[in-house]
Amino acid sequence: MFAPVSSGFLSRRGVLLFLLLALVAILSTSAIAQTPAVDNPGKRLEAIRAQMEKGQGLYVAGNYSGAAEIFEAGYTTYPYSAFLFNAGVCYQKQNDVDRALAKFKEYLKADPNAPDADKVNARVATLEAAKAAALAAAPSTQTTDGGLSADGGVAPPPKPAVILPSGDDQNAMKSLVVIETEPDGAPLRIYQRLDANASPFKIGVTNPGWKEVVATHAPANLTLDVGHYHVVVEKFRDFNASEADMAVSPGHVHQLKANLSQGQFMAFLRVSANVIGAHIWIDDKKKEHPEWGETPHGELVPGGKHLALVEAPGFEPLLSSVELQHGEQKELEVRMVRVGYGVLRIDSSAPAVTVSIDEKPKGVWRSGEEPLDARSDSGPHKVTITSDGRKTFEGMIVVPRGQILPLHVKMIPKYPRGPAWTQAVIGAAFLGGAIFAGVESNQLHDQLQADRDSGALEGSDSRATEGRWFAIGADAGFAVAGILGGLATYNFIKDPLPESSVKPGKLLEFDDPLKARPVARLERRARPALDVAAREQAPTLSFTPSASSTGGGLFLGGRF
Amino acid sequence: MHALRLQFGLLCLIGVSVQACSWSRFDDVTADAPIVLLEKPGSMKSGFGNSMATATSPDTTVVLVGGGAGEQSGAALYDIGNETSPSTTSVDSGYCAGGTADCFLSSSLAGFANAPGPDMERPLCFAVGTGSVMKAGLELRCRDASEYTLAIPTAALNLLNFGLGENQAYDFPTATDRTDHPALLVTVASEPDVHAAWFYPPSSIHFSELSAPGTALFNDPSFGKSLAVLVKGTERVFAIGVSGKSEVLLWKSDGASSSYIGCLGGTPGFGRALAAGKVNTDDSDDLVVSDDTNVHVIDGEALHALPETISTECSFASLPAGALLGSFGCGSTSSMTGCATSKFGAAVAVGDLDGDGDGEVIVGAPDMTVRGESSAGAVLVFDADKPSDALFVDAKFLSSAKSGDGLGGSLATPHIDGRDIIAAGGNGKAALFYCSPLLAHGAGGPRCP
Repeated sequence: MFAPVSSGFLSRRGVLLFLLLALVAILSTSAIAQTPAVDNPGKRLEAIRAQMEKGQGLYVAGNYSGAAEIFEAGYTTYPYSAFLFNAGVCYQKQNDVDRALAKFKEYLKADPNAPDADKVNARVATLEAAKAAALAAAPSTQTTDGGLSADGGVAPPPKPAVILPSGDDQNAMKSLVVIETEPDGAPLRIYQRLDANASPFKIGVTNPGWKEVVATHAPANLTLDVGHYHVVVEKFRDFNASEADMAVSPGHVHQLKANLSQGQFMAFLRVSANVIGAHIWIDDKKKEHPEWGETPHGELVPGGKHLALVEAPGFEPLLSSVELQHGEQKELEVRMVRVGYGVLRIDSSAPAVTVSIDEKPKGVWRSGEEPLDARSDSGPHKVTITSDGRKTFEGMIVVPRGQILPLHVKMIPKYPRGPAWTQAVIGAAFLGGAIFAGVESNQLHDQLQADRDSGALEGSDSRATEGRWFAIGADAGFAVAGILGGLATYNFIKDPLPESSVKPGKLLEFDDPLKARPVARLERRARPALDVAAREQAPTLSFTPSASSTGGGLFLGGRF
Repeated sequence: MHALRLQFGLLCLIGVSVQACSWSRFDDVTADAPIVLLEKPGSMKSGFGNSMATATSPDTTVVLVGGGAGEQSGAALYDIGNETSPSTTSVDSGYCAGGTADCFLSSSLAGFANAPGPDMERPLCFAVGTGSVMKAGLELRCRDASEYTLAIPTAALNLLNFGLGENQAYDFPTATDRTDHPALLVTVASEPDVHAAWFYPPSSIHFSELSAPGTALFNDPSFGKSLAVLVKGTERVFAIGVSGKSEVLLWKSDGASSSYIGCLGGTPGFGRALAAGKVNTDDSDDLVVSDDTNVHVIDGEALHALPETISTECSFASLPAGALLGSFGCGSTSSMTGCATSKFGAAVAVGDLDGDGDGEVIVGAPDMTVRGESSAGAVLVFDADKPSDALFVDAKFLSSAKSGDGLGGSLATPHIDGRDIIAAGGNGKAALFYCSPLLAHGAGGPRCP
């Protein structure tokens, strides 16, 4: 706790303590941030799976170099031998015999008891033979061209052209199989089905068409070829044996976990969606417990029927049921649909704007506040934005489905109409005067005409002169009024300034209350230079308190 | 909706603009206006419009507009032509205007179609007052700018000479008939010590004094201010008003001699103004007399029939039945009010406004309120050709009537284009009224609807 000082400011000691604590907090935050997300076993396995599947995808697509890079990187981060083998296959596909040999050899070194060690050794031998054959053919090629480089020196021998076997297909990729037991340490054996027509595996009997490929203890991380396997957890302590079938896909990560107390293997459920990061609740419709994970997410679950609730901001919640057998690995892929409304996130260059959508007020945004979020049904809507002294913006804006459309409204000041009003008022005065003069002229004329009709009119009647002047005045007034009216109309219509406009930003996803709010949202938007200039021109008056160890004061400042 | 309003507004604007645009319509409405104002010449000092007279020749018609009587302000002549395009500016403002000779302007001017002169007869002349042109006497000035004086009786001449010496103006009102060679009637007004009246027979420069059975008939300050000459063939009847005594004295003449034929009197102010002209359809001029409130029309035939008399009684008793063709008072209209105080009858005239042969009685009411303008003055027209059938026909006033104009203080009826029009004067104004509702449509020319 900081000790307050009489002036209301922190003491020097307090400031130091505050800085120290802040530094510790920052370092702590930094350390936490640097901690790999893969520390969580589940997430680690998910990361391995993502890496493996990414490499497999590139391989299937024919991008062998890219796939090799992914597998290499995967091994660097997660040192599982399957990555090495797969990288070797990719190099072999590229006829890079050295690298291929190096990776296969590294694989055998990393996993000397690999169930397919014999096969890999044979592959190594084949490659080396091919390489040797290529080297043997190399001198004749050298003799043919003289072996001289362009500068007269002796050129290094060219790399032999090795023709490697190219029988590898997408099934050549090995997969990582993670087998765990609860509790750990249980002995386990894995049998591979060699004959596709072999009978289902049974414990305690001879199983033709099946071959034991692994005998080890849980937990085990195994690199296996594509194929069908049967996993047997033998009797351990007081627990009975357990077993499960397993189909290994190329370039995948498979996870098996046996709950020995129940005598069952757990099933593996993976939920993916077209929305990355959607929240998943399993068997928790009311979301009374923390979420199970975020898409894509996979985890061991008990066998049986499960209910998966998938939610993401901006999307309709989705409830799906899935049934898994013990030891089964299943992927639930859901397709989420965006909600039928969206949000317009509005800020402006004006100090304050009032927003209406379809003539319904949606709120007021003021400078310095966070942008105004106006929710509306998706689709085109009439958006009206007003601000004092500025041109009203009115336009059709398409509100996105389940997303936020940032709108920065550039409110253009209204063109000053003072001269137009002045001209209009003066013109109206002239018009009024002209009408008055015209009416007077008419009345005088009528009087004169009546007098003439009655024989009482004299030729030099002064009313005739008066009437003439009224008529001339009326005409002059009408002319001036007409000119001023025209000028006023022109100046009312004239508007060299552009209309107010909106600049839509990139569509944003709804804020996720279960996640930290993006830092960007808290950043203040830089104000346009025009407004800054306008603010600088505006007269200001400020009082600034000042205090120090020797005294205090109040500064008065202003700009006029 | 907005566009519709805008279009409507623009149409209204254009409509009003187009209507108001035609300022030339005022030229149209004032072109050939029914009333023409005569411009007062700058040389006239005061009283423009106090008196009027007219004379007509075969070529043209002229109107003389007098100023303040006796103040040497003079009179101005206007040639109004015989069509409807008068000259509104004076063609001669030298009438009794001083200059080379002293002249006292008469309050009542008399026009001659042809005036006798010392050497020859001259057309379009006016007796404008008394003065000295070569010799003192009654001053006449003609359209050709010639001036001369006629001899006057000794008493009047002495008075004139005294006035010329003392620069003291004396009023010598005059009147003529409307024949081509009219007789001229002259009185000395407003001078109790000199009561004189005389006439010049047609084409004669020699005067003949009028005598009465007793000088008491002349003995009133109001004597001679109003006078008229009635014609029947070669015979004249001279009428002189003595409004202060509510009397009108009558003489008859057929040549150089005259005889007193009586005195009419009765209602207060009778004889305030006199005029002669053919009101009914017979061949003799009729006498129009105003009193303080009414105007009376007396048949000229009856007057000519009066025998010489020595009676000093003043009444209508000597007139035969039916001699009074009509008596009528003032009438109000929506535009004219204030009859009781309008000085209705301050001036009277007879003119044949529709050219049908008989005249209409024209009465001035200079203090009439017109369109709310007090004392703006008006002229009323009555058709009184039959006894008890005085029909109010028309009221004339200026469309630019102003308070104090006093229109109708003087009247004349210039003859143009086969008919008479009204010339009316007021305080500083003189106007010609061309139109009458009695005129048939189109008969009045472009000035009359």
